Amino acid sequence: MPAPYAERIATTVTARQDEFERIAMPHSRSLLRVARRLASDRATAEDLVQETLLRGWASFDRFERGTNARAWLFRILFNTFYALGRHMRSGPVFVALDASDGGTDQRSGGSFSALDAAEVSSALDALSAGHRTVLLLAVVEGFTCREMAEILSIPVGTVMSRLSRGRQELRDRLQPQSPKACEALSAASCARGKPNELQ
Amino acid sequence: MNCNDVVELTPLYICGDLDARRAAEFDAHLKACPACMLELEQHARLDARLREVVLSEGVNASRVDRRVRELIAAGVQADLPPRARKTPRRWLVAAMGIAAVLLLLLVGYAAFMGAHVGQVYADAAADHQHEVIEQRPRKWFVDTAQIQALAQGQGIEGVVPAALAPENYHLQSAKLCSLDRRVFLHLVYSDGAKEFSLYLRPRDAVPLPGRVLETANGRVLRVGNAGEQHIASFETDRLTAMVVTNESADTALRLARSLSATL
Repeated sequence: MPAPYAERIATTVTARQDEFERIAMPHSRSLLRVARRLASDRATAEDLVQETLLRGWASFDRFERGTNARAWLFRILFNTFYALGRHMRSGPVFVALDASDGGTDQRSGGSFSALDAAEVSSALDALSAGHRTVLLLAVVEGFTCREMAEILSIPVGTVMSRLSRGRQELRDRLQPQSPKACEALSAASCARGKPNELQ
Repeated sequence: MNCNDVVELTPLYICGDLDARRAAEFDAHLKACPACMLELEQHARLDARLREVVLSEGVNASRVDRRVRELIAAGVQADLPPRARKTPRRWLVAAMGIAAVLLLLLVGYAAFMGAHVGQVYADAAADHQHEVIEQRPRKWFVDTAQIQALAQGQGIEGVVPAALAPENYHLQSAKLCSLDRRVFLHLVYSDGAKEFSLYLRPRDAVPLPGRVLETANGRVLRVGNAGEQHIASFETDRLTAMVVTNESADTALRLARSLSATL
């Protein structure tokens, strides 16, 4: 005999909640890690993630089980970020670049492991929002170019372009380009482009 | 594949997005071109350092997790029918018995008065009581531009929350909340002494509960009450709106009439 109606309803409701807890909530930390690099302060970043998860909850019935929940949530994050407007966005953090004195650069061998964490973090924050976003999603969160194109609602080619320029800009901030290194590379690999806006 | 091709395809290669054929060509070029190999190695080292630095930064999502769970639970648990709730411990039974009697009296009174309390009204009343009357700690938006953006983000188009304020009131704050498992925009308006709540969301197929009282500005006004809170609600072509106040039923109705002309 089927369970009473009330119990079936209760089971459905708590089952949905349990499922959301299992599928979506484990990604809150990743979402917050990226949100902190997008928003103007920690409280705003937390609001952004809270809003993202609540929107995910509201649309959970439309989420296709078995698909990439993390990418789904990150897409909601960026849609929410765009919707909530410029007030949530951080201004560029100014980082004074080291002036090249033409002397020996101990890092010219290409090793970045010795770089100070604060230096790397500051250089990342100094990037344009578009470059910073794709580097975070690709390098830290491990999304593919195609996944990022879906998340950010931009073409794959734009993702690729921003990744290339973002990496180059980050390298320039952390390790000034030496003439010798440039000669060794093709002209196309030394090309510089203008930073792209997030949208 | 030449060096220009490699430069262009590097992001796809690093992400693992290249198909097998082009990945093989890419690998073959790297073996033959020390400059491109060096470039790729530098990318890899920088990526590794960047990942290490960002992942080492402390990220504590427990506060966000807790708030999200509270909001979801507020919307979900309220839907559990009384018979499905877990059996309370014995020491609670007596207190619950007394509360049940009082509740029956209240419900009976409400039924006598013809007021029907739907779940969304009950949730809205509790939300207004906890967050506006009792001022439990919550994260509110107070900037009107941010509130406007919050509204647009919820699909509430063509509405300027600050401009909805009835005479003598101003928009004080806003946030999102979950009522009856649906997300509403919660706007709080104040006249300097008292506040009322306006809950808005895009209109959906779920009908508003409550007794139909009148028609104003082409909108059907419904009323209800839950505990000390008085609720008046209406729907437009695009929106569902609920006014909640603890002042009086007449106040709720007056505010709803004013808002039904504005929305």
